[in-house]
Amino acid sequence: MIFFKRTLPLVIAFVMGIVAISIYYIPHQAAVDLNDLLSKWDRIIAAFAAFLGVYSLLYLHAGRLKRRQAGWGYSVFVYLGFVVMLTAAIYNNGAGPLVALRKGGAYDWLYTNVFVAADASMFAILSFFIASAAYRTFRARTTEATILLVAAVIVMLGRVPIGALLWESMPELQQWLMNVPNMAAKRGILLGVYLGAVATALRIIFGIERSYLGGDE
Amino acid sequence: MIQKLLNIDRRWIFLFIFVGVAAAMLFPLPLPIRPSSDVKNVYNTIESIKGKPNATVLLSFDYGPGSEPELQPTAISIIRQCFRNNIKVVGMALWPDAVGLAQAAFDSVSRAEGKEYGKDWTFLGYKTGSVTLILNMGEDFHGAFNVDYRGNKTSEMPVTQHIAKLGSFDYVVTLAAGKTIDGVWVTYAVDRYRIKLGGATTAVTSPDMFPYLQSGQLNGLVSGLAGAAEYETLVRTQGSATRGMQPQSAAHLIIIISIIIGNTMYFVQRRRDRRQSVSGNEGTRS
Repeated sequence: MIFFKRTLPLVIAFVMGIVAISIYYIPHQAAVDLNDLLSKWDRIIAAFAAFLGVYSLLYLHAGRLKRRQAGWGYSVFVYLGFVVMLTAAIYNNGAGPLVALRKGGAYDWLYTNVFVAADASMFAILSFFIASAAYRTFRARTTEATILLVAAVIVMLGRVPIGALLWESMPELQQWLMNVPNMAAKRGILLGVYLGAVATALRIIFGIERSYLGGDE
Repeated sequence: MIQKLLNIDRRWIFLFIFVGVAAAMLFPLPLPIRPSSDVKNVYNTIESIKGKPNATVLLSFDYGPGSEPELQPTAISIIRQCFRNNIKVVGMALWPDAVGLAQAAFDSVSRAEGKEYGKDWTFLGYKTGSVTLILNMGEDFHGAFNVDYRGNKTSEMPVTQHIAKLGSFDYVVTLAAGKTIDGVWVTYAVDRYRIKLGGATTAVTSPDMFPYLQSGQLNGLVSGLAGAAEYETLVRTQGSATRGMQPQSAAHLIIIISIIIGNTMYFVQRRRDRRQSVSGNEGTRS
């Protein structure tokens, strides 16, 4: 049993990891074809992950409903939304689930008038919280905080037309802040992130990092 | 009084934002919109391919409804610019929830510009895989997308039959809300298949893209609602992004005023506290 639960996944991860890295650097048609084939396999596996995601979401919310956990009413909406959208998608304005999504049906209406509107509104209310947080917490307590504050004000003004109206060079100053100090910091962060990603990938390929196996690995 | 102002109920701040944004929407002031060089680069690249036989642009819709107000106007403007210049447009989505948004953008502009599905434009829909989908497209476009969203064969449609692989597109523009620009398109499509890539992203993500702009891996960037408004200015259309500049300017201005008032109160309070502690110390000594 341990062979299937631990040894085989480790062997698959090692072999596929080494093969995927190697073919990236081999300029031969066979390597290109193999890469194409592996990519297709990956996409098929990724499609099945959607089912896993749906199962996981519904299972989680079923547990909340059973236990009448705080906020269980939201779980009712998860089920309601899932069932309504799925039914509308399968019905597909009378055309059935085997053809491309038809326009003008219930799914189309729900997508435009509920999903898009609700999702966009959720992001829009951020503006209120940002203003409140800025008033309460954005203080020039130290030199570093003052520099950050001044830079934030310049970027906020430079990014909107009113900035140019107040001072003609505001957009250019904003652009310089983004192109020079921002980019220098971003480069450093990105180098660190990607070196970390390479290290983690190697740890997975060589079986040092095994948390993806689940359980007590 | 100062302490009271420092601890003001946040609902008052919400109210100021609401009133400011509503006033800007109801009584709009004409504001100057100056396209930045990053936005012009995307626009000029599309302009440079007009007149070329079978000139085709690939638009990847990699965002969800949450980013619709920022990215949809750019999508509409780019499609409009392509159609006006008789450039073919192929749409695809790396995000499943972008499908409806992409269709809405194509439908509205194609109707307005009188363009025909399958001949002037097509939409391929969403496919899983992200990185691996790009790799498949890089080798064999018709293999990766053998049919479009409506079930038509891509090898037979006039808009896609000349596209052999990703490199066959004259320009690729990704409209992305997450990490698909740098995590997928730059890393796998630009570096491996040497395509010319432009991007459009949300304002919050755009600072992450600047290293790729400077390295040339990204040849232009339309960032946020402001970028979308700049693009609308370039295509000479007043859309939702241009109209959104007044409320956004008002919101930014209110946030800045909030910061200034908050800091003024903070420093006044701090000075008072210091004075009180000094006079308290002197009282203790005497």
